[in-house]
Amino acid sequence: MINPSSPSAAAAQEKVITDFQAANPDITIKKTNRAVDAHKDALRTSIGTAAAPDIYDFWAGPGLGGELVKNGASADLSAQYTEYKWPERFTEAALGPVTQYGGYHGVPWKLNGEAMYYNKALFEQAGITEVPKTMDELNDAAAKLKDAGITPIEFGGTVNWHVMRLLDTFLEGYCGSDTFDKLVTRQANWGQEECVTKSFTNLQKWSKDYFNSGFIGINNDEASSLFFNGKAAMALEGDWFNAQIKDKATKAEDYGVFPLPTGTGRMYGFEQAMYITKDSKHADAAAKFLDFMMSTPVQKETLGKFSTQSVNKEVKPTGTDELTKSWEGIFADAKGLYMNNDQNLTQSQTTEYWRIQNLVATGSLDPAKAGAEFQKFLDSSK
Amino acid sequence: MSKLTAAPLQTQVPAPRKIPKKPLLKRLTKGGFIAALPFLAPALAAYVVFVIGPMVSAVRLSLYEWSGFNADPQVFVGFQNYVRLFTQDPVFWTAMQNTIIWVLLSLVIPTTLGLAMALALNRPIFGRNLFRSVFYIPGVLAPIAIANMWRWMYNPNYGVFSELAKAWHLGDGSGVTFLSDPKLAIYAIFAAFVWQIAGLNMVLFLAGLQSVSKELVEAARLDGATSWKVFRHVTFPALRPTVVVVMVLTIVHSIKVFDLVVGMTGGGPAQSSQVLALWSYSQSFLQHDFGMGNAIATVLLAVTLVLVIPYLIWSTKGNED
Repeated sequence: MINPSSPSAAAAQEKVITDFQAANPDITIKKTNRAVDAHKDALRTSIGTAAAPDIYDFWAGPGLGGELVKNGASADLSAQYTEYKWPERFTEAALGPVTQYGGYHGVPWKLNGEAMYYNKALFEQAGITEVPKTMDELNDAAAKLKDAGITPIEFGGTVNWHVMRLLDTFLEGYCGSDTFDKLVTRQANWGQEECVTKSFTNLQKWSKDYFNSGFIGINNDEASSLFFNGKAAMALEGDWFNAQIKDKATKAEDYGVFPLPTGTGRMYGFEQAMYITKDSKHADAAAKFLDFMMSTPVQKETLGKFSTQSVNKEVKPTGTDELTKSWEGIFADAKGLYMNNDQNLTQSQTTEYWRIQNLVATGSLDPAKAGAEFQKFLDSSK
Repeated sequence: MSKLTAAPLQTQVPAPRKIPKKPLLKRLTKGGFIAALPFLAPALAAYVVFVIGPMVSAVRLSLYEWSGFNADPQVFVGFQNYVRLFTQDPVFWTAMQNTIIWVLLSLVIPTTLGLAMALALNRPIFGRNLFRSVFYIPGVLAPIAIANMWRWMYNPNYGVFSELAKAWHLGDGSGVTFLSDPKLAIYAIFAAFVWQIAGLNMVLFLAGLQSVSKELVEAARLDGATSWKVFRHVTFPALRPTVVVVMVLTIVHSIKVFDLVVGMTGGGPAQSSQVLALWSYSQSFLQHDFGMGNAIATVLLAVTLVLVIPYLIWSTKGNED
């Protein structure tokens, strides 16, 4: 499994396993946690071998979970969906990612949204009275923060995908949802869309003027500490960040969250699912555990630890804190989802996307050439 | 050492005679090779299985297209991976250039530094053993630990260089961004490599210095040679075998550098500090293009052999016959 985002999430994960084993003494669950990149690496290497796990936790997007489905790593769980009545248990939004490849691949575990967290005091200090609702207002807010001597946003750049969130946001905001989807499915040309250049140009502006200094040489934990310590005003994070704020910040009420103001109405996010390996010799026991994990009582108990919303339609958020309530609104208002581009693109395309993103972010590539550079790679790869 | 003694000696030495090579079978049986074979066999078998086997497998896979999944068939594509690598891969030539820069700098900086430290600590100075230990310690630390340590030192928010900049009133320290600068990152990582390996080279040179004839050094000094002349004409020639060993080990260390780059930048920013070993790994295990990954590994193998084979020939020459 992927490392939990906070100590309380880790404890919740352990408790689910302990409780299941107490109720099912004939089944033993052995859990291995890994960091994000290490998990991608280890899973791809072990899948299809005797070292493959019975259950694996993975992202459901075509570039990640989809690749494993395509390569026959995941079992089609149609029989288990019928047996456990899972189609009736999960929300429509949660079922979409596990049915997109035909049949049922994976069991929805958590649907995460990503949005902009902000420090209320720093916004006030910079004279920002309302959270940004358009791309222009977002740019203005960053400029005001900078003028007030505050680092507008923190990013750790060593593993690339954090900065990618902002570039994805600019692409959705400046290109619109239709063009965004065409770009990531190779139906539009990255080198010929003006909005791509506009997005890269804005990325360069933000990285030069609004990011924490030296962002690309530090990791996300180091960068996040700037947010928790009040040294940076914004953080582009997922709803799992609520738990981190509660664990790490002195007062959670000092922080707020607002949807990314792309103007398309779509929420930025992704789903993680629990997949059963095609060659698993313990598929029945694995399904039984997943049924327990996504059951109403367990989902009620763990809600808020991994995400603010449950994939189980019977489980509604009960948190009364402002961050949880804000997320309820973000999910309720969302008119669809646009996914992180490392989920949309293949691994090699993602690597090149990140290279170009970082070249632009570090001022080493003219933003006007970035789209064409990426298109060149897309054209030369399969 | 005068001309008077040298001339008669020359006349006494017979002209070198070309010794005909013995048949292979006789050369093999000479010196108890057959008797030694049972003792060599386990190591030889392990070498074939764990070194030669994977090498052959890597070269073979470089001619195939394969995603690495067991269920996915390996498709023979000939030299297509090499063509893609040399003509289309946007990172390969950066990685190649960085690897070459790394090897060249390694042959100069950590070797010279190691030699200088060895010469200094070969003298009976106060605290000599302590200094030797201190300089050697980085060589036994795990590279990934060194990478983390140096990454913290380079941190623009709280790193040692940032703090020094503040102490010297050179701004708030946030401008110290060695690992974030695509032009500087590779050199910033290389500094950690020098710190890691110079002490190791020092130990090798110290061992070599023990073989330098004290009598020759004394004789040269009695003849009035300066320290530089003693080093140039007596010490350094005697150290030549050690220099070659250090050079070869340094080349090998440099070519396969991986951990430090992974730990400090992951090849970034924007692949600017990418090296061949890491790019091969990334292609295979992160991008799941095992054909390309192994094509890079094969290029790396070829480069290594070109650099190391001359040494192997040189080092085995003395053992023949």
